[in-house]
Amino acid sequence: MTVILELEHVVKRFGGLVATNDMSFEVAKGESVGLIGPNGAGKTTIFSLIMGEHKADSGSIRLHGEELTKLATHKRIRRGVARTYQVPRPFADMDVLANIEVGLMPDSIMAMIFTAPADEEARAIARSVGLNDADLHRDPAELSMGDLRKLELARTLATKPEVMLLDEVFAGLTAGEIEQISGLLNEKRQEGMTYVIVSHDLRSLEPLIDRAIAMTQGTFVCQGDYATVMSDEAVRMAYLGH
Amino acid sequence: MSTQITWKHLALWALFLGGMALLPMLVGKGTLRTIIFANYLAIFAMSWDVLSGRTGYISFGHPFLIGIGAYTTAILSYRFDVPVGISIPVAVIVTMAAGTLFFLPALRIKGTYFALVTLAFMELMYQLVQVIRPDLTGGTRGISGVQTLTRGAVNGYYLSLALMGVIAISLWAMMKTRLGTALSAIGMNEEAVEGSGLNTTKLKLFAFMVGAGVAGIGGAFYVHYLGSIAPRALFDINFLFTIIVAALIGGASTIIGPMAGAFFLTFLLEYLRPFLPGAERYFIYGSIALILYMYEPKGLYEILRKARERLTGANA
Ligand SMILES: Nc1ncnc2c1ncn2[C@@H]1O[C@H](COP(=O)(O)OP(=O)(O)OP(=O)(O)O)[C@@H](O)[C@H]1O
Ligand SMILES: [Mg+2]
Repeated sequence: MTVILELEHVVKRFGGLVATNDMSFEVAKGESVGLIGPNGAGKTTIFSLIMGEHKADSGSIRLHGEELTKLATHKRIRRGVARTYQVPRPFADMDVLANIEVGLMPDSIMAMIFTAPADEEARAIARSVGLNDADLHRDPAELSMGDLRKLELARTLATKPEVMLLDEVFAGLTAGEIEQISGLLNEKRQEGMTYVIVSHDLRSLEPLIDRAIAMTQGTFVCQGDYATVMSDEAVRMAYLGH
Repeated sequence: MSTQITWKHLALWALFLGGMALLPMLVGKGTLRTIIFANYLAIFAMSWDVLSGRTGYISFGHPFLIGIGAYTTAILSYRFDVPVGISIPVAVIVTMAAGTLFFLPALRIKGTYFALVTLAFMELMYQLVQVIRPDLTGGTRGISGVQTLTRGAVNGYYLSLALMGVIAISLWAMMKTRLGTALSAIGMNEEAVEGSGLNTTKLKLFAFMVGAGVAGIGGAFYVHYLGSIAPRALFDINFLFTIIVAALIGGASTIIGPMAGAFFLTFLLEYLRPFLPGAERYFIYGSIALILYMYEPKGLYEILRKARERLTGANA
């Protein structure tokens, strides 16, 4: 087992609130981990810390053993980690194809000016997440929640991550859409993708993960396979209230 | 989005600039001088749009950049007899350096605060020009007798048209590339651009330098057209708003938009002049701009585009 992502004693405070309280965990290459906890537990904050959108107050976050905490967000993306957002916020005045193309751009001004947009690659990614060709020239405002989540996945996949952090991928989706996205995630997993998945929809989450990590109030509670974690006394208290 | 440059585009540009080139045969010298101002205003509005229209970092200090370009070349050529072939490029480079200074607040602040800080730049410049070395800047009076590059309205017009044409086509071609897409994306959701693996700091800095460079070119050539520089007219809130309103009512994030807006405003102001010689004009034009903006926030460009769609749609 090779560890790809590790958090060690990560702390994040928002004023007096400790949103991340000494969190440590590891994710192995090719593994799929569910991060669960009640509202406000600090799941999204952990994603923001890994991506560098928030700066950790202390602790260490490593990808392939390399310390990320000093790196700007765009550099972390290039190291192979990317996230989706709980509330999709696409580029509103660009069509679906252009949205995906932003994720495919080289990070060099000269290359941006002198290379053509990667239309074909963007199309292929759009198809791979189940977006229809007819949607490619739509504006995001015209998309259903399901298609917005697919676009979010496509934009993230465009950066060619090895580790994907998925925040509430199933929220607002129909049963059919959930099935479709689950199928898609499983497919990528066969190809070796590593996931950390946050979802309140535990039933849909369960078949997608090898292991669950439970947290509440910024603090680690327990981890193990799904059944073990869900039968843990503390988890039931924090998560289900009984 | 990612539409490629086609012959049709180039033909339209040629038609537009060719048509403009015929104007001196059709209109009088007075109108021509008005159009010269419109051409320079179009340059300023395009430069504002690169810097602010795309990235969403609204600058209220644009006259600061234009002023740096104008003063640099005016002082060099008038006080030190530097040939304009050197003083103008130097002015542009100095303005680009000032654009970097402008950029510093954008690293930390956004929105209203950024606008206010840039406004402070303009105000500061206005004060400094009067206090620091008035023997060079001419203090409140400014400088007159600056060398002019052209003689007569017709030549002045052709120079301004050439400048505007070259700048418009260059910016247009640049914004058609992936770079233009990335800059517009910053205006929509900066975090997501960074989250796509792009260095937004670098992109913003580039936009600021290009915007400042164009402002510097415009400011430098404009002062060599007028032959004088007056700080009161330059570092003026009305001048600032004319630039911003031209870009906004024309259609920010486009090239044609700021140009159309500049012409619309210039002629509006000009036609109002006989009726309202004073500052009330700005009230009227402000109101018209506001109504237009509320009717179509994407500006004249969008109104024309929709009209065309309706027409071609009706034909089909
Ligand atoms: N930028 C911020 N400033 C201040 N407090 C914040 C900020 N972001 C999050 N918090 C607080 O940190 C805590 C953890 O929030 P977070 O969004 O990480 O929880 P979550 O587990 O993702 O919750 P949910 O399931 O509702 O999405 C909450 O109490 C939240 O109010
Ligand atoms: Mg959350």
